[in-house]
Amino acid sequence: MKRIDNRMLMIFLILISGIGLIASCVHKNEVLPASASTAVIITHGSRIHLPGLAGDTTKWKFDKVHSAVNWSTPFQAVGAPLTGKFNQFGIADISSAQMQNYVTAAQPLADTSWSFYENQPKKIHFSGYVQINQVNTGEPGRDQGCLVSTLGTSAIVAGTQNLTVSNIALIKTTSVDFDPLSNDYLATFNFTWLGKMGAPVTESIVGRLTYVPAAVTGTHKEFGLVLKFQINCRHYGVTSTNVADIIAIEVHANFNNQ
Amino acid sequence: MGNSFFIYIQTLELMAFFAGYPLIYAIVVYIADSRRLSNSLISRIDSFLPFAYALVGTLFLGFQLKKLYPDYSAANINQVIQQPWLIGWALLSILFWLPWFAGKKILSLIHSFLFFSFLIKDIILQLFTSSRDGNIINNDMKVYAESLFLNLACIAIIVFAYGLVLLLKRRLKRLSPPV
Repeated sequence: MKRIDNRMLMIFLILISGIGLIASCVHKNEVLPASASTAVIITHGSRIHLPGLAGDTTKWKFDKVHSAVNWSTPFQAVGAPLTGKFNQFGIADISSAQMQNYVTAAQPLADTSWSFYENQPKKIHFSGYVQINQVNTGEPGRDQGCLVSTLGTSAIVAGTQNLTVSNIALIKTTSVDFDPLSNDYLATFNFTWLGKMGAPVTESIVGRLTYVPAAVTGTHKEFGLVLKFQINCRHYGVTSTNVADIIAIEVHANFNNQ
Repeated sequence: MGNSFFIYIQTLELMAFFAGYPLIYAIVVYIADSRRLSNSLISRIDSFLPFAYALVGTLFLGFQLKKLYPDYSAANINQVIQQPWLIGWALLSILFWLPWFAGKKILSLIHSFLFFSFLIKDIILQLFTSSRDGNIINNDMKVYAESLFLNLACIAIIVFAYGLVLLLKRRLKRLSPPV
């Protein structure tokens, strides 16, 4: 091949290579699409649940039978968890005058001290109580024996709901906010209990409130609220070393529209 | 996509071995033809081009054998080799080891131009059709760059081997007793 032909060939090949290089580089600085977020997707609907009377399907009633107040603590602070529940509890804001014995097998007070606004946490509130002597660890001898004195209360009187100051622990919300890291709510409330102290002790506690949206169950709908929090039992005069300082409590409250 | 994907991959393999040769050829011939470099080894470097090309072809044959290993049955060859005519054409480059073919270096350029034409085709399609996937030309250029390096390395190996043989011949000549 003559030199001039080879020079033309070389120019042609370099030209083609150059065009190819440019064509392959034109999208080099194109902005890549943002990667998928791994953050928790937080969505709050606009559902509102308010308490009401039986028979009104637009209002919600506390479903005591399908609710629970459970607690757990490591046995002797290190062992397997010691767990239990309270058989009697309710959602009522108890005034001083209402702190008395009620001779009834039913709920002694209306369970209507609550409201839930899914998208307006400032409007969410609830008050509730448990009867301390209704503690149930599955061991009747312990529940109505050493635990009665450990918790500073008195034994159960059959057919009586004991809402006296020495036998109830109360919670009452002071504020509720969205949890910025999850779909839950952060509920700040006062926890009041006499325990073995001379006078009831009130502590401000923050718990996690989870909303379980309503679902049809048979002929009616049911929704749930779950409140998880911890207390330090030493602050209430519980000195028994069989239980750890921290008691974890879970409140599962169900409501139906029957 | 089916077999078209494997055909595409095989085309890229062929380009990786042979597409870079034309440019290397043109540059080497240009350098060899330079008057300033006459009477030096570089002035004869263009005569090594067919052998370098034959070495590329031999490496390609080795690559195909490695892909087929350990099953060299006709059925497996049929399954693995998606473009038998192109592969056959590529393997013809081994003929440039033969002196007759090596003496006609322009044939090696013509032979390799087929593979360079794949690059031209993709560039034209990229430039003149809007629906073309830009990744194809990106792949082509990466493979083309590797091909340039491979062909350059093959020439370097041939030149090195030639120099080694020349050196051994001279030493043997010195060691041999005078007649």
